[in-house]
Amino acid sequence: MHDIQPTDRVSLELHYAISQHSYGESRMLQNHQYREWLETIVAEDIHFWMPVYERRYRKDKRPAPGPDDMAIYSDDYSEVKQRVDRMYTGTVWMEDPASDIKYLLANIEAFHTEQADLFKVYTNVAYIRHRQQTERTEHVGSREDLLRKVGDTFQLVRRKINLDARVTVDKNLYFFG
Amino acid sequence: MIDAKELVDTKNSTQAKKIFGDQEVYEQELERIFGRCWLFLAHECQLEKTGDFVTTTMAEDPVIVTRHKDGSIQAFINSCTHRGNRVCTADSGNSKSFVCNYHGWVYGGDGSLVDVPLAEICYHGDIDKSKLGLPKVRVESYRGFVFGCFDDDAPSLEEYLGDWGWYLDTFMVGAGEGMELVGPPMKSTLKCNWKVPAENFVGDAYHVGWTHAAALEVLGGELGMLAGNTAEIPYDDLGIQVTTRHGHGFGVIHHAASSIHVKREAYDKYLQESIPKVAEKLGQARAGLFDGHWNCTTFPSCSFLYGTNIFKVWHPRGPNEIEVWSYVLVHKDMDEAAKKEVVKQAARSFGTAGTLESDDGDNMVNATSINAGAQARKNTMSSTMAQNHEGPHPDFPGIVGASFIGETSYRGFYRFYQEIMNAESWSAIHAKDDEWDDMFENKDFWKNKLAGDK
Repeated sequence: MHDIQPTDRVSLELHYAISQHSYGESRMLQNHQYREWLETIVAEDIHFWMPVYERRYRKDKRPAPGPDDMAIYSDDYSEVKQRVDRMYTGTVWMEDPASDIKYLLANIEAFHTEQADLFKVYTNVAYIRHRQQTERTEHVGSREDLLRKVGDTFQLVRRKINLDARVTVDKNLYFFG
Repeated sequence: MIDAKELVDTKNSTQAKKIFGDQEVYEQELERIFGRCWLFLAHECQLEKTGDFVTTTMAEDPVIVTRHKDGSIQAFINSCTHRGNRVCTADSGNSKSFVCNYHGWVYGGDGSLVDVPLAEICYHGDIDKSKLGLPKVRVESYRGFVFGCFDDDAPSLEEYLGDWGWYLDTFMVGAGEGMELVGPPMKSTLKCNWKVPAENFVGDAYHVGWTHAAALEVLGGELGMLAGNTAEIPYDDLGIQVTTRHGHGFGVIHHAASSIHVKREAYDKYLQESIPKVAEKLGQARAGLFDGHWNCTTFPSCSFLYGTNIFKVWHPRGPNEIEVWSYVLVHKDMDEAAKKEVVKQAARSFGTAGTLESDDGDNMVNATSINAGAQARKNTMSSTMAQNHEGPHPDFPGIVGASFIGETSYRGFYRFYQEIMNAESWSAIHAKDDEWDDMFENKDFWKNKLAGDK
């Protein structure tokens, strides 16, 4: 479903609803409300994906990575849930004291698809994380989401995150981008 | 030159803290360790066709590894012999030649200089291209794993691996067609000294229950019992650890190969079906290790977890920083669906966002950064666990420790570290081939233990 294509841009009203939904999602994660995020935002048929991109020459015609290729995240619901559960064990030493992270979302574009209840959303993202005394890391990329309209809210069905950096300048990327 | 006997005390099993961060120690490591040991470059499966190449580094030296048209794999330093610029800036690809962006010098797939723009007019024909090829690196493969070495006097790769090769053969020969490597690697940085993760993988099963308590709790499985170190476990019966001549070593937890993988039915089936084949080819000793979970380092900086199957190279970037390159190992003759699941599960646990990987980074960075303190770095680190509960074993080569939790392979790693840091040449190292294991004094440990067990 990652390759479901966008059709028309959504209306101003729908764009507002989708962007506010995304901001609300980010605020939940920033507040470390991972369970609430899982239960209210994430669809049970989620595929949460962060592929690994090489630096290749322009003439290189090999295809971009697919869902079966090496990936930093390639999780279904039960696997996302396991990552969430880990955060509640009380023994994630690295997050105690907790880090602070901000999700900066920009360039949000939302489109209809051929399925009435599915929306394709493109977002530019920057994740800025502070830890301990002076540790500051920043990750910049883009997100391709597929949202499903459920009642008066949305659920995340597909998320593909492309980070721009080839080498991650950080200890890990464990933050549900 | 620093006397490495001041850095490593093999009798008391301590190391000076300054080895994690001192610039002078690091410079000596670049020359004496990374300049003379075999360093992992690639797997042959990444270089199947003529012209296939990957770029990597040997310590901080950038190298290109290619499949030449004569079928050989060649490696050379990725730096133009004219003004030094990199001649290849892609991670991988296929190319007949490498063209420097600076002045357009062209190198062939074997590193030879084949074209110099304006050679006739501006050099007036006075340039000997045959002497200006990219500097070559020695290349040898072991069971498909390609290593490079800068030192012509170093032993062959097979000799360098020595008894470690005997263990590697458990899965590189024992089952089916051996192992291949899946990339492209995830890459990340850690502000730690390269030896912190290398020693961790060579012999640190001790940290697993505590550092990874959170992940183990949610994973459950065979290793779940280690979480928090609270369960009563007969540690000495569950595995061994081993060190070998050139510092390579590993620890194994028996029958726990797939324990960190959540979806693993096909993988388990493959492992169990393969055990009789390993026994037939290599005997019972190695068949018994085949479905174990191994933590390993090939000295100096290539580590992997067999079972979980993450494969890491710790590329030093100064004394206080590394790049971590993470690939996944898979058994070649597993079916494609099972391979894909192994890749996914390995990345989930020990990739850049791994459920276990995310626990380790802080420890490694803090163990390094603490040495900025002038007083802290005067102290030593200890690796004394189960000293003397180790020795030569009738069934397994090298020096074998009594439990998978112990520090036998730490001691072996730093023993060789001390030796190669002080050795003038490889011949000085060879001269000590018969006495390398003298420091492991309890020669009858296994004889007595096995007699007692009976």
